[in-house]
Amino acid sequence: MRTNVKSYRNQKRNRHKIRRDKILKALFFTAALVSASAIAIIVIFITQKGITPFLNGDVSLVRFMFGTQWRQDQGVYGVGYIVINTLLTSFGALLLAFPISVLSALFIAKIAPKPIASFMTTIIELLASIPSVVYGVFAAGVITKLVMNMAAGLGLSTAGGSSQLAVILLLAIMITPTITSLSIAAIQAVDRDLELGSLALGATPTQTRFKVVLTSAKSGIFAGAILGIGRAFGEATAVAMVAGNKMFGPTFHPFDITRTLTSTMLSGLKETTGLDYDIRFSVGIVLMVVILLSNLLLNAIRKKIGKVSG
Amino acid sequence: MKKCNIRKSDMALNGITYLASLLCELILLSVFVFTFSKGSSLINWDLLKNDYWSKNYIVESSADHNTASQYEKPDDLSHEAYFSRRWGIALVDHVSHEKEKQVLIEYIDPKSPFASVVDGSAGQNKGKELNLQVGMRLEKIDFEDQNGTAGITGTILSENAETVVKNLDQTAETLTSAYVKTAGGGIRGSIIATGYLILVSLLIALPIGIAAAIYLNEYATKNRVNQLIRTGIEMLTGVPSIIYGLMGVTVLFPITKAFGATTTNVLLGGITMSIILLPTIIRATEEALLVVPQNLRDASLALGANQSQTIFKIILPCAVPGILSGVLLSIGRVIGESAALIYTMGTFISDAPTLLTQGTSMAVHIWSIMSGEQPNFELASAISIILLIFVFLLNIGVKWISRRLQKEWH
Repeated sequence: MRTNVKSYRNQKRNRHKIRRDKILKALFFTAALVSASAIAIIVIFITQKGITPFLNGDVSLVRFMFGTQWRQDQGVYGVGYIVINTLLTSFGALLLAFPISVLSALFIAKIAPKPIASFMTTIIELLASIPSVVYGVFAAGVITKLVMNMAAGLGLSTAGGSSQLAVILLLAIMITPTITSLSIAAIQAVDRDLELGSLALGATPTQTRFKVVLTSAKSGIFAGAILGIGRAFGEATAVAMVAGNKMFGPTFHPFDITRTLTSTMLSGLKETTGLDYDIRFSVGIVLMVVILLSNLLLNAIRKKIGKVSG
Repeated sequence: MKKCNIRKSDMALNGITYLASLLCELILLSVFVFTFSKGSSLINWDLLKNDYWSKNYIVESSADHNTASQYEKPDDLSHEAYFSRRWGIALVDHVSHEKEKQVLIEYIDPKSPFASVVDGSAGQNKGKELNLQVGMRLEKIDFEDQNGTAGITGTILSENAETVVKNLDQTAETLTSAYVKTAGGGIRGSIIATGYLILVSLLIALPIGIAAAIYLNEYATKNRVNQLIRTGIEMLTGVPSIIYGLMGVTVLFPITKAFGATTTNVLLGGITMSIILLPTIIRATEEALLVVPQNLRDASLALGANQSQTIFKIILPCAVPGILSGVLLSIGRVIGESAALIYTMGTFISDAPTLLTQGTSMAVHIWSIMSGEQPNFELASAISIILLIFVFLLNIGVKWISRRLQKEWH
């Protein structure tokens, strides 16, 4: 039998076929490898270019990391306060968007009748698909006016509405659809038996939704929050339109202008050589590190609180 | 008593979920209302087919046909236009989006001296015939009066249409030259560049992405290398687009340099976008491959087809709808992308973009006009409307395809 198979395989026609199969497999493997190595290439090359200003001694690493001033005109580059600003705006946006997203997810997944639920799903999908520049134009035209009126109501003045609060509101709007759609998936994945058990024990449907369904789905909901804050950190064009690019900081006052990592990378982009250009790669490294660290931290928290549902 | 409290708190809790969903609807509605109210006045064919930058022309009238005579005012001329009876031209006042006062040409009589002028600007086109068109901005007219003294009139002296027409009718006897500008403010160049971007990025990303998905779904066994590949691809989705832009200018720029590019360029933007698209296409293709029943593969192999035949003739045809939805999602991503492209394509708006020169996609066009000293909300909103329509149509397409995909096997 074995020799039969062997001789069949060794026929010229079949040898050809088998070789072509192998070549094709190698090709497919290469494609997968190329796709996967992109992330390594990104990390390696940006790190390489980003650390040159420090290796050449143009900027001191300590003053870069802990600096509280960013003056392109004077060659003073300090990213420390910008990191704090970025964390403040992103987590502020998460704080606003998280309850809204989870509640609307609950409404869509459990409360609303089917036609309304599918209508709301479409709305969330549309919100998610709006390009970020369009949100930027909206923020520059509407949110800044809103913030300006709020400030005027409190007797404060703003720089034409560009402010930390405007950035937070904009980011909250932009990450809401992300968190909502992941929360919907998490809520829908909750075991129906859990709900029935809760109802059988005499809890009202609303109590069941809030105390059983949400608690069981919290791991998935948290995953949505992690994805959302990742988007908030990396959002560039829209934020740059309303941030105002403050030259020193950190900014704690909500009506004061601010500067985030991404708006720094986009501001005053004219030359494509020189220190002012290369330093943007260093900011890029800082951005990646901030995203990675906050992801790790939030994932650790998620593991801890997610365990309860078992 | 307690029951009543529970019912009240239940109603309150339900109420806040209603409010939260209502808020989402309101946000979408306000984005719509804002962009449409600001931009709808600009939505017309001129926006799509005009250049962004206005061109300047000095035109001279031909020597045998530069004197005044009598012309009939056309009946359908609008009330705001001022018609010059002796020169056969109608002008109208206009205020641009940058709040600049302009005088536009509304109508030219076919026999008027203005209808047969030649290009007078220095350059290779000097002396060639040039047609003045309706909608062009009239900046200045040089003329001579009956004594042969030279005079000028136009917006350069901050005169409005009425004064210009009056000057023409009362003093001008022979026409010397005129300074006109084309309308500009269109986005034709950006539309072309966006088309290039979509083409280039899909041409690169589709074959690689589909091949990678086939490998992961059809060949890959569970070992560490394949696990690593999967993790690498998943990590790509979490990278912010501005980081892709940085990667584009360092890693990919040498590739376009080999083709002869000297600055950031459209091709570079396209290649960068193709890497951004890879995870999207891989995921969409994999999802489509996953729902192809295992029976089909087994049947094909049992009939004597080898693996590559099975993939190309059995599995891929079944996965076409999934791949198509991946393509639509990718187009949406390319249309909406801005941060990565600002780095790789530059922000200079080009009216005639080629693959190896700078250009802007529609999204970068918005960024470019919004980040200047005087943000042009009207044009930005008009382009936003176009983007929104495109993105929503693509979204509907994806939904339709995925619904069909589900029906096919279940």
